[in-house]
Amino acid sequence: MTTPLTLTPGVRPDGVALLTAAGEIDMSNTDALAAALDSTPGPVVIDLTSVEYLDSAGLSVLFAHADHITLIASPLLTPVLTISGLADLVTVAEGDSGV
Amino acid sequence: MTRCDDAEQVPPEASGAGVFVADDEVGRDLASVDWRATPLGPPEEWPQSLQTAVSILLSSRFSMWMAWGPELTFFCNAAYRRDTLGRKYPWALGRPAGEVWAEIWDDIGPRIDTVLATGQATWDEALLLFLERAGYPEESYHTFSYSPLRDDSGTVVGMLCVVSEETERVIGERRMATLRDLGSDPSVVRTEQEMLGFACRQLGRNLRDLPFTLTYLFQDGGGARLAGVTGIAAGHPAAPLTTAAGDPGTVWPAAAPARGESVIVPLDGAPFADLPAGAWPEPPTQALVVPLLQQGSAPYGFLVAALNRYRPLDEAYRGFVELAAGHVAAGIASARSYQAQQRRAEELAELDRAKTVFFSNISHEFRTPLTLIMGPVEELRARLQGADPQVREELEVIRRNGLRLGKLVNTLLDFSRIEAGRMQAGYEPVDLATVTAELASLFRSAIDKAGLEFQVDCPPLDEPVYIDRGMWEKVVLNLLSNALKFTFEGAIGVTVRGEGDHAVVTVTDTGIGVPADEVPRLFERFHRIENARSRSNEGSGIGLALVQELVGLHGGTISADSAEGEGTRFTIRLPYGTAHLPAEAITTAGTGAGATAADPYVEEALRWLPADEGGEPAGDGMELPSHDGSAARSGGSAVPARVLVADDNADMRGYLVRLLKGAGYLVSTAGDGMEALDAVRADAPDLVISDVMMPRIDGLSLVAALRSDPRTAAVPVVLLSARAGQEASIEGLQAGADDYLVKPFAAAELLARVRANMDMARLRQHQARWRSALVDSLQEAFFVCDEQGAVIEINSAFTDILGYGPENLPYTPIHPWWPDPAADPAAYQQVADAFSGLLGPGRGSYTIPVVHRDGHRLWISVTFNEAQDPDTGRHVVVGTFRDVTAEHYAIQRESALASLSTGLSQAGSLSDALTGALRELRGLWRATSVLAAVFGQGEEPALTVEGEPVDWHGLPGDRRQTLTDLLRRPLLTPVTERDGAGILLEHPEGQLALWIDLGDHRPFTGEDQVLLSLLAGRLAQGLVRAHQIDQQRETAIALQRAILGPSRLPDGFAVRYEPATRPLEVGGDWYDTVALPGGRIGIVVGDCVGRGVQAAAVMGQLRSACRALLLQDDSPARVLMALDQFAAGVPGARCTTVFCAVLDPETGRLSYSSAGHPPGILAHPDGSTGLLDGGRSVPLAVRPGATRPESETVIPARATLMLYTDGLVERRRRPLYSGIDQASQAVQDGRNVAVDDLATQVMIRLAPADGYDDDVALLLYRHPAPLEMTFPAESSQLAPVRKALRSWLGQCDLPTQIVQNVLVAAGEACANAIEHGHRHAPGDIVRLRAEASVDNLRLTVADTGRWKSPEPEANSHRGRGVALMRAMMQQVTITPGPYGTTVDMQMRIA
Repeated sequence: MTTPLTLTPGVRPDGVALLTAAGEIDMSNTDALAAALDSTPGPVVIDLTSVEYLDSAGLSVLFAHADHITLIASPLLTPVLTISGLADLVTVAEGDSGV
Repeated sequence: MTRCDDAEQVPPEASGAGVFVADDEVGRDLASVDWRATPLGPPEEWPQSLQTAVSILLSSRFSMWMAWGPELTFFCNAAYRRDTLGRKYPWALGRPAGEVWAEIWDDIGPRIDTVLATGQATWDEALLLFLERAGYPEESYHTFSYSPLRDDSGTVVGMLCVVSEETERVIGERRMATLRDLGSDPSVVRTEQEMLGFACRQLGRNLRDLPFTLTYLFQDGGGARLAGVTGIAAGHPAAPLTTAAGDPGTVWPAAAPARGESVIVPLDGAPFADLPAGAWPEPPTQALVVPLLQQGSAPYGFLVAALNRYRPLDEAYRGFVELAAGHVAAGIASARSYQAQQRRAEELAELDRAKTVFFSNISHEFRTPLTLIMGPVEELRARLQGADPQVREELEVIRRNGLRLGKLVNTLLDFSRIEAGRMQAGYEPVDLATVTAELASLFRSAIDKAGLEFQVDCPPLDEPVYIDRGMWEKVVLNLLSNALKFTFEGAIGVTVRGEGDHAVVTVTDTGIGVPADEVPRLFERFHRIENARSRSNEGSGIGLALVQELVGLHGGTISADSAEGEGTRFTIRLPYGTAHLPAEAITTAGTGAGATAADPYVEEALRWLPADEGGEPAGDGMELPSHDGSAARSGGSAVPARVLVADDNADMRGYLVRLLKGAGYLVSTAGDGMEALDAVRADAPDLVISDVMMPRIDGLSLVAALRSDPRTAAVPVVLLSARAGQEASIEGLQAGADDYLVKPFAAAELLARVRANMDMARLRQHQARWRSALVDSLQEAFFVCDEQGAVIEINSAFTDILGYGPENLPYTPIHPWWPDPAADPAAYQQVADAFSGLLGPGRGSYTIPVVHRDGHRLWISVTFNEAQDPDTGRHVVVGTFRDVTAEHYAIQRESALASLSTGLSQAGSLSDALTGALRELRGLWRATSVLAAVFGQGEEPALTVEGEPVDWHGLPGDRRQTLTDLLRRPLLTPVTERDGAGILLEHPEGQLALWIDLGDHRPFTGEDQVLLSLLAGRLAQGLVRAHQIDQQRETAIALQRAILGPSRLPDGFAVRYEPATRPLEVGGDWYDTVALPGGRIGIVVGDCVGRGVQAAAVMGQLRSACRALLLQDDSPARVLMALDQFAAGVPGARCTTVFCAVLDPETGRLSYSSAGHPPGILAHPDGSTGLLDGGRSVPLAVRPGATRPESETVIPARATLMLYTDGLVERRRRPLYSGIDQASQAVQDGRNVAVDDLATQVMIRLAPADGYDDDVALLLYRHPAPLEMTFPAESSQLAPVRKALRSWLGQCDLPTQIVQNVLVAAGEACANAIEHGHRHAPGDIVRLRAEASVDNLRLTVADTGRWKSPEPEANSHRGRGVALMRAMMQQVTITPGPYGTTVDMQMRIA
């Protein structure tokens, strides 16, 4: 059973690619996240506002794409992003914490 | 059996009568008791414990009785029958003890009740009881202990009394004390009235033996006057102040005591109407009137002693009264004799004064009568040449003593003349050598007779010397007499030489010499050298003084040289010529009457010599007519009394011998004090008459020597002396002489004194005999020790107890009865300590072990007191002791039995019981080892050893044989061998042969055997009990396993169970958890009434029922209502308290109902506590059918719930709530500790000092329960694990961010575990556990793989995972191991 994760590609009003994730990201489904990012060249905004869990495997994928992603995340994920150092490499915008 | 025919008449010979075989006689009488009529029933149905008790009772030689059963049915043994029961035997056997001892039940009943109620033994020493065993209430004293007797189940159902009667001892001591006090008059001088006052005070202190006394003294004019009273007022109708002689109407019969007879007077009639009772409740019923005896005369009076009505007037009682009267009489005698002595001393002093005047005035008058005596005597001698030898001998005595007296008178007169300057001298020229040689020759025969060489070397001188012949004779004769007196071997020499213008005369001897410091005083008048050995002690000490005076009158000098032990030389120098002499005294020639003057000297000297004992050998034929033959009988026997006469004067000896022989005495003689001392020591005479002045040992020293030796101390001595005067008399009496006679004395006076002293001595010996008879009659051993601790006097009880008799006195330390220091150092030390206490000052008492002469061990209780020997003034120790072996062993027995019983009652198993008992036995006898071989079913006996461990095959063959041989012995009968003792007893698994190995040949006494059989009996009972416990426990453990609690507890719970009944591990309390549908959990804690197996059985049923009910219905109140119905049908289930709850572990919701159970405690994470005190109602089955309430609460996250039974919190004298508060605090303090550890903490913290005394059940739950998950090492498991963890974290009521952090850390750990699992063993199991307490959260993830070290380069995201874990949690520990890796993480959450 794979951890539930919904990835919805889209485009923001300013034309930048948007990938909206909802659910949990762990080693069982990072492949899906990696595939989605790989298929989106250029800058992409990843909206993690509805992600309730992100582990180091997921972080690895994000690190791999650190040069072209911007993150929107709820305060719930802030510690993970900060501690891992990802927040130093990519812009993290605060999203609603309405999980 | 021939009895079969009349079996109906005779009480049935019970088959159980085997219990009575230990004693033929009492056993037979016991067997004929109709036991069916007693609550005990027929002996064959008696429990083992009763049979054992009766066997021990009957086989014991100690006086014992016992009572058993509801009526305290009476048993006793032969010793008790003999000592105490008296006429009540055999009536008493089988009767209720309260009926047997109705008269003393008020005293002993409460003691017996105490024993039965408490199981504690009592001990009474010398308790006064009035027994009616001889037909009247009898004063009697008993030392006894009551100890509990237990039946087979250990319940106290009777008591055993070991008793020793001490009536004789107590009463003997009391009487002895009175007699001792009577004899302990500290003052020397008293009047008769003072003495009587003292005696009455002493008699008045013993109102038990002498309720009252009256002392009457006969008066000169007839009749008697009351001189002393005790216990009654003088003038009482029974105590008239005077009684008239010969009046038949008088209150007390004076005639009988006046004749020296005792008489018993019944105290009935008018004068005795209102008598005082002394120390007793009732007045006396009779009195003993005894005479106050006076030696050789009519009694002084009589003593009326009222008698103790509670004692028979036996020999001892009568003796006591007579001795008391004897003391009073002796006191009167000594008071009167003191007065007489005082009068005599005054008279003597007056006489002496008169004598002094007389002598000084008329001594010169002696010469005339002396001349008139001596002249006719000389004529008679000449005329009676052929007369009767006795007549001639007596004439010789007269003549010799006449000469001596004349010489003394002459010498005295010479002195007075010289002093007055009236010496009539006539100096004529003589050849001094010739004159001196002639004088010397007069002494030759005497000196030859003494065996001495006599060297006279007197060559004629060239010039004449002017001398007064008479004076010169005195000079030479005095010197020669002196030399002979002090020379015992060697030679005496006389030389005359010319030397310049002097003639020099020397007289030398090889005698005893004179000490250097005495030489200057040799010529002093009246100076005598004390204690010089001489042929005679006669002499006035003026001889040499006179010589010096006389030589001086001749114008000459005299000097002495002497060396002690070598001899003495006197040197006289006389000048030639007449220039130094008064001219008118010079004469030209003349012839003196030398021979006459010399006679006294020579005759006297001859009397000193041994071959001339005319007075004594000749005395054999010189019997004087007897004055009174009966006077000279000793001690009333037909043997004449023997007298030793010691005097250095042969004439005096002879005179005394004749006098005494004439009076019918057997007389022997001694020439000086030393001879006398030897003679007395060899064979003590009845009396010694001794001169004071004697050579070698004088009379005073002789007395002192006799008095200092116990063998001769009692021999009376009469001293004779020429020295008159009160001081001399007192000196003699102080030295210990019994009487003192001054020479000259009249024959009648001497005989009277001898006789009086002989009588007095006999009286004294009579008293001494009484004293020794009294001391001998003491039940207690009596001894006297000198200052060095040597035992110098003992009585017969001493010999009876210790086996050492008076024949080997004195016994010097170390005494032969001391224990052997090598074999028994502890006992030796005890005695040594007591001995040093004995030698110390004051008084004391000890109980010590000693060894009888025959080697057996005794315990004695010694009491001693320092005293002064009234004769010698030396300090002595007077002591008594009694044999307390029986008491000692009784106490030892009691404590050994108590100790063994305690050990047995605490033993948890049969083997514990046996091991513990063997340890007790080994300790008790200080044994090398104790062996117990149980001969049961197996091929070889099961051996238990206390001591050096060994198995059956390791035992020496003869020891195995000893143990096997015991099997053929009767049960409980000790067997002793030289190195130990054994006994056979019943063991639940066969027969037990017990062997106590004493090793070092210590004796195993009869006492030890009694004790061993008692202990073995107790052990056998104890083993049965332990065996029952073993069986109970096996059952109980099986039961417990079946019923105590759930085999597996749900997560989050911890329980404890502590049964009150130690050997059992179940009781009436229980806890239970039941898994209910919907994940809920039923929780039950209950408490049945009672404890032990019975309560456990009830508990098991209730627990099962409750469990089943919970599965049917999840409402605690309804469950309890149903349980009410169930419990009503289970015996013993009523009043059980139960707390029943249903928990939803997800939400913490708890519904509960309590049937009279203490409220649950809830410790909140914020530090507050609450009680689950809703839903309360009565205990089970109290109101079956009544509706029960139910409450509900929610257990907050991280709170701790505690349910318990009242054993945890209920303490005596403390409100329940105080215990509950204490428990609440304990839970609260431990709210951060894991629940299982908390359960241990609570049990320890609330335990009373001596352990829980009631069953305790305890159940703890912490909400939420820890999360425990196991899942396969697959990444697909991560999401469900996370979900479960998130849910559990939610139950823990934690902030979102913390939840997130924990989830991340746990996720990383799990991901790592899964990676390992994949790599090394796919499908392996990963385990996650999360547990929260109030402020801490702990997370553990364990896998079976090898942890990967963080290597960011190779696998950057894994390294990030570890970093994340460390960042999220406060403490991360990764423990890799060969079989897996464990990650342990903790976070503070408060």
